Amino acid sequence: MTRWQKDFPVRWDEDNYMTRRELAKFLTLGSGLLAGVNVLIAFIGLTRDVPATPAIAIARADDVAPGGSVLFRYPTEEDPCILIRDRSGRLDAFSQVCTHLSCAVVHRPDEQTLACPCHNGSFSAVDGRPLAGPPTRRLPRILIEQRGDDLVATGVEV
Amino acid sequence: METRQQGATLFSAILVLIATLVVIQLWLVAAALDALLARETSVLVPTAAAAVVLFALNAGLLWSVRSFDKRLREWGPRG
Repeated sequence: MTRWQKDFPVRWDEDNYMTRRELAKFLTLGSGLLAGVNVLIAFIGLTRDVPATPAIAIARADDVAPGGSVLFRYPTEEDPCILIRDRSGRLDAFSQVCTHLSCAVVHRPDEQTLACPCHNGSFSAVDGRPLAGPPTRRLPRILIEQRGDDLVATGVEV
Repeated sequence: METRQQGATLFSAILVLIATLVVIQLWLVAAALDALLARETSVLVPTAAAAVVLFALNAGLLWSVRSFDKRLREWGPRG
């Protein structure tokens, strides 16, 4: 008997074997459990309340210089967003939460992108679609309107 | 090949199939959770339906094995 066999003795006659049929039963039970979890997720998703998207003034129009950005929160205080103005003066607003692992994206006006520094993800600053890195879903767009001198957020487009 | 060996091979294949379907279900749960957190509700119903169908397939495979075993017991061993 080698040293490791002395240190870690295995008594095969006392060991409990699982038959293939028991394994099949166990896997099918797990399959039922997973199906239940999936149905539960669908139920939660379909019945939970969608957060209201009230019209909220987020900045003054002249607060954002061409190539600049302003951070705000919409529709709740827990939803960070970014308002950007490109070099041509066009305004766009997106959720600032990366769709990969929820890091905050930053504006890179020279590349017209919103970059996630955590995993080098990159989104278009024009329409929010993913351009590079791990993200596969676009950034939610925040709908904005100009009312007088104020920029008002009016909704979220996922 | 003997009938017993054929049965063992067939059962191994069924076991692998069940395990593969469970892995697909795990992936479906991950995808559904991802969609839920991203508020993409359109994905949730198809994933739940697919998960239920896969469970039905697994249950059907297990039932076929059990009914085969039952028939074997009823017939008894054949020399």
